[in-house]
Amino acid sequence: MTRINPEILQRALLREKAARKQAEKILEDKSKELYLITEQLRKANKKLQSGLTEKTTELQGVFDNLVDAYVLMNLKGDIINLNEAAKELFGYDVSEEKINVIQLIYKDDFEYAINSFKLLISKGFFSDYIARVNTKNKGIRWVHINASIIKNSNQKPIGAQGIVKDITNQRAIEAQNKKLLHDLEKSNEELGEYAHIVSHDLKSPLRSINALINWLREDYESVLDDSGLKNISLIEQTLEKMEHLINGILNYSSINNTDLKNTDVDINSVLQDIINTIYIPNHITVTSLQRLPTVKGDKTRIQQLFQNIISNAVNYIDKETGTVSVSFQENQSHYIFEIKDNGIGIEKEHFDKIFKIFQSLGNNKNSTGIGLSIVKKIVEAYEGEIWLKSEPKVGTSFFFSLKK
Amino acid sequence: MQAISFLLIEDDLIETMKFKRVLDGLDAKHTISLAENGEEALTLLKSNKDLPNVILLDLNMPKMNGIEFLTLLKNDTVLKYIPTIILSTSNNRKDILECYNIGIAGYIMKPLKYGEYKTKIENLVAYWSSNEFIKV
Repeated sequence: MTRINPEILQRALLREKAARKQAEKILEDKSKELYLITEQLRKANKKLQSGLTEKTTELQGVFDNLVDAYVLMNLKGDIINLNEAAKELFGYDVSEEKINVIQLIYKDDFEYAINSFKLLISKGFFSDYIARVNTKNKGIRWVHINASIIKNSNQKPIGAQGIVKDITNQRAIEAQNKKLLHDLEKSNEELGEYAHIVSHDLKSPLRSINALINWLREDYESVLDDSGLKNISLIEQTLEKMEHLINGILNYSSINNTDLKNTDVDINSVLQDIINTIYIPNHITVTSLQRLPTVKGDKTRIQQLFQNIISNAVNYIDKETGTVSVSFQENQSHYIFEIKDNGIGIEKEHFDKIFKIFQSLGNNKNSTGIGLSIVKKIVEAYEGEIWLKSEPKVGTSFFFSLKK
Repeated sequence: MQAISFLLIEDDLIETMKFKRVLDGLDAKHTISLAENGEEALTLLKSNKDLPNVILLDLNMPKMNGIEFLTLLKNDTVLKYIPTIILSTSNNRKDILECYNIGIAGYIMKPLKYGEYKTKIENLVAYWSSNEFIKV
């Protein structure tokens, strides 16, 4: 029989003991570590949790308080959530009844809606969808929708969101405005045409009278006395005045803001043209006191504007030496012209009256009372103003501004 | 100077009298036929073997207006060779442009004064008296 050496046993036992102690130590360390990590994880989790709640509440707030309707749906079109504005618009509550977007689409817009939905799926969004929807309590409404796909963390589409704006009233107002504008344009056009036709119809009898009166003179000159011949020429003068009036009305009515051309108009050459065109007696001079600017406008209208004021000034000069002078100043937005004369002047109480149509102050035979009303209309078409300073018997200054 | 045959299309009696009177005052024996509107003028032109040398056309007429008549005239293979002059009260740019576009031989504004009218018509007659006409 072999005897076991107790010494060997003893040593083995000791080794075993030491190893176990070591293992226990490692285990204890690991447990400690594990505990700490668990603790850290728990803390982090808690923090995350509260952060998430915070964000969710925040989002919920935004969602609820959006002025526009907000609709959340799954990919089948079932509505998952509506914010307050959406509930108000559509009249449904998804917590009480199941609604699919298909139900909301107005039947005539169905194809358009389907195409937009396809776009949403393929591109991930659509914008400026404008169509009608059925609502529970408000009937059919026009809406504007921007929509986009919602994806999960793996980039997989899980639903869609849409911002819906009720534009029914806006559309009604727009349509109304459009109609008003159209009507206005039409009636303006008709008015222009009307003035044209009426003017020509009015002129035609004048021509006839003029011919008849001429024939009377031609055929009966030998039997008419001086007074008869004088009356005939008075009829002719009256006819001319009448024609002036009609031309004036025609001119006045054809000034429209719509047909004003915008080209560079050199006022120096306009002034020269006027001096060459109108009758200026030898004792009157028309000059500019400085080099005049070039303005943007319609040449015919600008010339008409200056010409009417200048010929008025020339007509009403009673001094032995007459002067009419043109000068200007400018500010950031406007040119301000001054046309100054040393004529008979205008009483202050007439200042407003002279710009009204058919208001002529003098007994000048060429005066129809339309000239200055045309001037005012032109100035206003160029977003300017007209005013005057005058001293009776001394002279008058007309001022007007033209937008740069 | 050759004598010209005119067709005057005009609905106003006095205007017609004016034209006649100016022509009567001239030495050459020009002839005038009259139509009060475009339809009447077309009937006259289609029925008549003797076409006028020159047409004078008033733009403002009831029923068929001057421009409508002018369009029909210039689309006719025979009648389109007759020179047509507009007598109008309107110097509306749109009207003048349209007339020249369709095809006219002149555009005369009717003046207020008979004296001016007379001069214009006399000039017109003198001018066309020196022209060659074509019959197709």
